[in-house]
Amino acid sequence: MKLRKLLVCMLAASTLMAGAVEAKTYKIGAAVYGLKGQFMQAWVKSIKEHPAVKDGTVQITVFDGNYDANTQNNQIETMITQHYDAIIFVPIDTKASVGAVRHAMAEDIPVVASNTKVASDKVVYVGNDDVEGGRLQAAALAKQIGGKGNVVIIQGPIGQSAQIDREKGELEVLAKNPGIKIIEKKTANWDRAQALSLTEDWLNAHPKQIAGIVSQNDDMALGALQALKSHGVSPKDVPITSIDGMPDAIKAAQAGEITTFLQDAQAQSQGALDVTLAKLIGDSYKPRSVIWQRYGNQVKWADGKAASYILPWVPVTPQNADALYKQVTGG
Amino acid sequence: MNAQTLTTPATATVAPRQRMRTFIDRFAMPIIFVVLCVVLAFSSEYFLTARNLMDILRQTSINGILAIGMTYVILTKGIDLSVGSILAFAGICSGLIAAQGHGLLAALSAGLLAGAVLGAVNGFVVARLSVPPFVATLGMLSVARGLTYIVNDGSPVADLPDAYLSLGDGKLGPLSMPIVIFAAVALLFWMVLKYTTYGRYVYAVGGNEKSARTSGIGVRKVIFSVYVVSGLLAGLAGMVLSARTTSALPQAGLSYELDAIAAVVIGGTSLSGGTGSLVGTLFGALLIGVINNGLNLLGVSSYYQQVAKGLIIVLAVLLDVSRKKQR
Repeated sequence: MKLRKLLVCMLAASTLMAGAVEAKTYKIGAAVYGLKGQFMQAWVKSIKEHPAVKDGTVQITVFDGNYDANTQNNQIETMITQHYDAIIFVPIDTKASVGAVRHAMAEDIPVVASNTKVASDKVVYVGNDDVEGGRLQAAALAKQIGGKGNVVIIQGPIGQSAQIDREKGELEVLAKNPGIKIIEKKTANWDRAQALSLTEDWLNAHPKQIAGIVSQNDDMALGALQALKSHGVSPKDVPITSIDGMPDAIKAAQAGEITTFLQDAQAQSQGALDVTLAKLIGDSYKPRSVIWQRYGNQVKWADGKAASYILPWVPVTPQNADALYKQVTGG
Repeated sequence: MNAQTLTTPATATVAPRQRMRTFIDRFAMPIIFVVLCVVLAFSSEYFLTARNLMDILRQTSINGILAIGMTYVILTKGIDLSVGSILAFAGICSGLIAAQGHGLLAALSAGLLAGAVLGAVNGFVVARLSVPPFVATLGMLSVARGLTYIVNDGSPVADLPDAYLSLGDGKLGPLSMPIVIFAAVALLFWMVLKYTTYGRYVYAVGGNEKSARTSGIGVRKVIFSVYVVSGLLAGLAGMVLSARTTSALPQAGLSYELDAIAAVVIGGTSLSGGTGSLVGTLFGALLIGVINNGLNLLGVSSYYQQVAKGLIIVLAVLLDVSRKKQR
């Protein structure tokens, strides 16, 4: 009997609490493609540090998509069923889950895409342009090797949007350099250990013939760097370029061992939350994340009504490395 | 059929303690399932809504379809590690046919055929060449994934026609299509297992291969056939999945074999073959679906979801072991 009383009390208390909180709290779900990598972990960490989350205006729930489109689909359905006020979506694939997004919008639940686009012109995008990122890193490599030589490309998981788009940009720029020949192209699935083995194998297969390495993310670039070192090759002689701007990679860039471009996880997640809140609250909402000052010159707030907010890739240099490292690690 | 029961000395009286144990053994999983549902019903106002229950069924459908085939395989003392890869391969094949405008029937046939053919290769390697199922299907896990990338050069197939997409978001009355397909498949394969001679053969082969052979059952044919069934159903699941995600993805179904095996094991089918039931598997699949859904509703981190799932799998096998000790 005691148990029953307790249950009733708990139930009553929770309904009361729910009633009191609902008046001013927005329940927003963030469906991210997976939480095994550093980048998405940083993304999640910074969305939880957004001023609106800290002061309780927003209650954020993070859903881990486990790198699986169907899992993400299920999670969006769950959010619709639970009447979430809005969804911030980081899809594993641009075109997958368009159906689930359509269902959410049909129920008047705004969906904002962050980091990776959703292939629907009704979904606002806050993030970087991966094709442009690919162009930037390829252009940097072409410059470093003087526009000629054999290049290898370490790919992300084949078929994933980030891999497809980055490669598109890379190939576009490399093709403009007739002296550059792509002699190898294989996936290491964003994984440092796989990239290490792959690069070692390439170094064995093409001794002293590789002029430069394009890696589609930082983790793999760091794997490639290890391979160079273990084979006694200096990264000055065989430059590596990549993108993402992870803490370890910023350190490596500072030491001149790799070239990388930062995509700002905080800007992607907090920016997306600001745009989402503008949709929920309306014109009166003023963005509260620091990122709008940080990128004020390149990205305009536009009352939260723009169709997309394309964030800049920040080249990591020995000069700005310390500042970026602090910004990325939050320390 | 079960040789072990014949050799067990008959006990005249069953001690109450043992009766209690048998009760726990038989109903532990349903009890855990019900308790979990009750807890979730109290913790989330959304859990028992019709909409959420439909969500759970729909979310379970893919793993459920895979687990049905997996049950057949495991009943014969086998295992099929390749279902996730076969699912992706069939999804891409049928997606390509559909995207080229060949119509739904052609696309469906292509997906089922793709799954069945790869399943048949598994079956051949296991039954004819006597390669252990774990190894044979581990090989296929890699081969089928590679073929998936080869077929469409690693790219997803988007722009699927509406008829195809209706496999994922279409409705039959109040039920959405994946649930209808799941239910139909479950019913069909349950009846086959329960009421046909073939179904009894599947049990017999897993229970005791030697005595099955001496009693004139074509053991190799039966073993071959269960891998075809598993491949076929993986193909079907692949098409439903592609339709649900509105594009056929080459990286779809990664590690799905683990959830399918988990559903079978939680459902009480023994990995050493011969004993178990399809109904148990359906329970197992639903339990996994409810755990995932429930912890999502409660906003529990996915890290804990994995812990919970793992614990339940081990618990299920523990029950299986204790059942065996009693004999």
